[in-house]
Parts: sequence; C-alpha cells; structure tokens
Amino acid sequence: MQNRKFLAVVTLLVFALVLSASCALAAEKVLKIGVLFPLTGPCATAGQRCVAAVETAAEVINNKHPELDVPLAKQEGILKGTKIQLVVADTQGKPDVAKSEAERLVNQEGVYTIIGSYNSSASKPASAVTERSKKLFMCGCSSSAALTDRDFKYFYRLAPTDKTESHEFVEYIGWLNKNQKAGIKTIGLIYENTEFGKHAADEGKAAAKAAGFEVVVDVPFNPGATNLNSEVQTLKAKNPDVVFGACLGGDYTLWVRTMKQMNWLPKAVLNYCTGYQDPKITQQLGADGNFFMGGTGYSPEIGAKYMKKVAAVEKIYTKKVGVPFDSDSIQEAVALFILAQAIEKAGTLDVEKVAEVLRTTTFDSPLSLGGKVAFGPGGQNMKATSIITQLHDGKYMPVYPTSYAEIKAIVPMTPWDKR
Amino acid sequence: MSTFVQVMLDGLLAGMLYALVAAGLSLIWGVMDVINFAHGEFLMVAMYLSYWLGFLAHVDPIVSWVASGAFVFILGALTYRFIVSRCIGKAAMAPLLATFGLSMFLKNFCLNRFSPNFRILQTTVLEGKKIILGDIVIGLPQLVTGLFSLAILFALYFLMKKTRLGWAIQATAMDREAAELMGINTDRIYLLVFGLGGACVGIAGGLLTSYLAVHPEVGALFGLIAFLIVAMGGFGSIPGALAAAILIGLVEALAGFYIAPVFKYVAVFAMYLAVIMIRPKGLFGW
Repeated sequence: MQNRKFLAVVTLLVFALVLSASCALAAEKVLKIGVLFPLTGPCATAGQRCVAAVETAAEVINNKHPELDVPLAKQEGILKGTKIQLVVADTQGKPDVAKSEAERLVNQEGVYTIIGSYNSSASKPASAVTERSKKLFMCGCSSSAALTDRDFKYFYRLAPTDKTESHEFVEYIGWLNKNQKAGIKTIGLIYENTEFGKHAADEGKAAAKAAGFEVVVDVPFNPGATNLNSEVQTLKAKNPDVVFGACLGGDYTLWVRTMKQMNWLPKAVLNYCTGYQDPKITQQLGADGNFFMGGTGYSPEIGAKYMKKVAAVEKIYTKKVGVPFDSDSIQEAVALFILAQAIEKAGTLDVEKVAEVLRTTTFDSPLSLGGKVAFGPGGQNMKATSIITQLHDGKYMPVYPTSYAEIKAIVPMTPWDKR
Repeated sequence: MSTFVQVMLDGLLAGMLYALVAAGLSLIWGVMDVINFAHGEFLMVAMYLSYWLGFLAHVDPIVSWVASGAFVFILGALTYRFIVSRCIGKAAMAPLLATFGLSMFLKNFCLNRFSPNFRILQTTVLEGKKIILGDIVIGLPQLVTGLFSLAILFALYFLMKKTRLGWAIQATAMDREAAELMGINTDRIYLLVFGLGGACVGIAGGLLTSYLAVHPEVGALFGLIAFLIVAMGGFGSIPGALAAAILIGLVEALAGFYIAPVFKYVAVFAMYLAVIMIRPKGLFGW
C-alpha cells in the first residue's frame, strides 16, 4: 500500500515537472537562424571563428548586457522576448555541400535566415537557395563582388568587396610612388583558383590596368597544394614590383615560406581578405609575416583607436576561441546584429518588411569600421570600409588612407636575409 | 638556363619527398594487396607528433623524425592487428572501407583535439637556411628531407633484397599459402609490413614539419599523390616508387613553370593515365 502511494506521488511529481517544462518552452519564443560556415576542411579555422562571432552576437542579443554599448545589448531578445536560436551547419568549404546544407536548413530546420558562408564559392549557391525560398541571407565576409552583382532581393553583404579593395590597392600604390618614391610600375597576382580568388584577381587586373600599371604575371593555383614552388618561381622569373595575393589559410603560409625559401620578395605585397588577416597565422609565421600588407576591416590595434565599443564584446568572443576578432569574423557578428536591428525596427518577422527595412535604413554598427551600415543595390553594404595595414611584429599597423595611417609603410619590404 | 636548373631541382626534391611518402603505401599494397586509405592521415599524425615535440619539448624535426617514424610504425601495426587483419579474406572492399573509416577518425580526432589551426615550427635548426649557387637557391630543409628520403629508401630496398626478412616479405607477397608452408609466419609479416609502411610515412611527416604547416587536412593531397606513385611505379616496388615519384615531381615542377602553375596537377594526372594505359602493371611492377 505504501509503495502504491509512493508511486502515485512520484508520478504526480513527474507530470508536474513535464508540464512546467513544456509551459516554460511554450513561453520562450525562439527565432531559428542558420549559421552555415566551413567547420571542417582547409578553411575550418576561419569558419569556426565566424561561428563563434555569430554566437557572441546571439549571446549579447539574447541576454541583458547593460555594460555593453552596442545595439540590443540592454534588452533581452528581440520583439519583446524572442530569443535567437542558432542552428549551425558545415559547408566543408565546398559549394555543393553549402547548397545541400542550405536546403536542409531552410526546408527541414525551418530557419528564418542563413548567415554565412565565408567562402564566396559557398555563399553563392547557398544564397541562391534562400533567394528561391524567399528567406534572408546575411553574408558577413565573402568578398567576391559577383555576389552582389546578381540583383538578389534577400541577399545582404557586410564586408567590402574585392573590387573596393582592388581600387584601394592601386590608389595606395599611386600614393606610394608619389610620396615614398617607390618606383612601382609592374604588378603580379597570385590567387587560389576558386570563385573568390578568380574574382579578386579579375578586379585586381582591371583596377591595375585602369590606373596605368602593367600586369606582368598572373598565377592561379589549386588550393591545398603540396608545394607552391612553380608558382613562386613563376613570380620570381617575372619579378613584379608589387604582388596582389588571394591565398587563404595554409596556402598563405606556404606561399610566404616558399618565397623565403626561394629568397625572393617583391617591393610590396598587398593581400585581399586572406590568411594575412588571420591572427593565428600571423602569430605562427612570426617575423616571416612582417612587412606584408593587406586590406583590414578590424584588428585590435584599429579597434583600440577607432572602434572602442568592440573591446567589451570582444571579451566574450575571445573566451570562445582564444584570439581577438579578425576582419572576417567580426563581419559575421555584425551580420546578426544588423538582422536583429532590422527585425526590431520592422516590429515583425515578415520577411518582406524586414527586407524593406534592410534596404532603406542606415544602421548604427559600433562593430563596423565607420560605425554605420547601409545596403545599396544588390545588397552590398555601401558604408563598408577597409584600411590598408602592414604587419609589424604581429601588429596590423594602419598605413593608408592617410587619415588612418599610424606609420610610414616599409616599402620596399626588408629582404629575407636582413631580417 | 639557371631557371631551368632551379625548376628541375625543385621538382627533384619534391619527388624525393613523395617517394618516401609513397614507399610505405607501395609496400603494403604490393605485399598484402590492401589499400591503406589512411596513409595521408598517418602523415598528418606524424607531423603533429613532430610539431608537438618541437613546440613543447624543443626537439628539432631533424631529431624528432625518429619518434614520428616509431610512433607511426606502432600505429600501422595496431591498424593491422585491430582493423585490417579482421577484413582480410572478407569482401574485397572491406579493408579499403575500414581504413577509410580510420582516416576519417584520425582526421576528425585531430580536428577536434588540435583545432583546424595551421601550426608551424618557427625555430628549427634548418629554418631559413639555404645554399645559394649563383642564381640557384636550394632550401636546406628540402635538401635534407630529400637526402633522408633517399637514404631510407635505400635502406628499405636493402632490407627487401638482401635480408631474410625481406625475402620472407617477398615470398609472402608472391604466395601466402606457400610461404606459410615454408614456415613463414605470414600474419607477423603482414603486421611488420604495415608497421614499416607506417614508419616510412612517419619519417616523411616528421621531417616535413621543418618547412610545412601542420593541419588536419595536410595529408589529403600527399595521400592522393602517393596512390598515383604506387600505381605508376608498380605495386610493391621500391625503385618503382622512387622513379615514379621523381617523375611526378619533375612533371609537376616543369608543367607548373613552363605551362602554367594551375596546370601542374593536370599534367601529373595525364602522365599517370598515359603510363597506366601503356603499362598497367606500372613502371617496375612485379
């Protein structure tokens, strides 16, 4: 008899527990956001950091953070309590996988938006899926200009494009010739033979020719190669004054080290969003990475001077990955912040209305260089800026535009044997 | 002319490294008729071991290759004992699929434990050293790796041709049942062959750390090239592996420089197809 009573009490307790849990679940409104990045494969490092950046933004948006001076930090969730729930998926850096994972996120997981996908070659097919399904695609850092030339209605990209960076590069070379008597006449390009690399190179060549520079060598390579000997040998044989580089991850380190092995350097190297921007790669390359230059949207040095509100958010991010934000990962955090601000302003989850807000609003964005985000035709952020930095002992020192410059760039680069 | 010599030298050194990576695979494939799909991942494991020894204990790759070789010898032997031996005599694809599973396990284990970050040993004995002969530059890490490869391949060849163990391995490769009737413990031979195959790629991985970044994907293309070399050189043939590897290194370098860098693997695979069409057993096949 006593056993029966005990059983009845336990059963009642279990029911009560299940009921209260389901009530709590029902009370918590969630908005599913797909987070689609390369978590395995050659670009996994960058992809995992991008995911951590989106998670950081979600943490700030979902919980009260009165200590942070960024939009939505002082409230809990969006639309009066809706919490953001991230559904993470892996592209492996492959376009076909990106497409099928985007389809899964949209059709099976029922996500509201996808944020992704680092590689331009992956963002392209994944965003075609969302466009067909009339879902938003927030693209943080894929830089191929072709992505915003498609006139998509639901695609929005935060980072500057390769086109913007190419123009900045040639403008800077002109400035170097004028002010530092650099004597730069010829340009070479080395790039991975992918959507990103090819478009970056096309934009680089077009900008160089338009500015009157001669492009003397053009070296595409297969990413993940066992060596880059022929590639560097080809560059060395033509000996361009400046090289534009579009090499991601491990290929960047291999390229730099092969140049060292072959005892060759051009007068200057300017990198698109590549391994150059990765603080871990920079740390690993040590002194070998010095004096290389590239477009940079964020570094702790830039943040300390021009984006002071980032530091507090960066603490949350650094706890996750052990390194500060870089130019790419911070754009992914911005992507979620901007989306949340747009939903909040629209006051609804209606995709058409949120898209309208995205198209017509200038957003405050303390995590962006310049502090503002506004989307133009094709969904490109018209306020996106990057500055040219040069690496000095692991620090990204701004060198151009002159309004940001903190040091005079070392051009020509210090030869390998004199470092 | 100096450019041509430089390109040839680069190709030759790359080929010598490929030969060491492929020699172990060739041995396993030739003797046991088993394709070790985890060969590239064995290289990656060896590189990680060498990297951590260098990073944590300051052991230079010029020394730590011994540990890498020994570790991957044990890994190879364990792979045979617990995975491959259970697949032999089953469906033809069983060992291939089992080692494919092992490769996925190793890759994802390293991805999980060591993150996808690229890791480079910054200060090694050979780091940045080079021999400059006029316009020709030879990187010392590459040269030393190439010379080590040649020495180890020679030792392996000597083992196979001049020792009783080598004869037992060859006998097992020719006819396992007959070898058993002659008193050869073929199971132990298989275990040793898998271990030796692992040791070769382990040594290559240990040395590679002196100039190449380590990451979980590093073995993929090396593994693929090793398969080409084995098929081109002839299954089980050490001189075949060396010849095919040097040929691949040279074609890669020459096509990459004189045609287009992006064409180098096209040229390599085209040559592989041509060799296989003309001589399906490979250049030195048994």
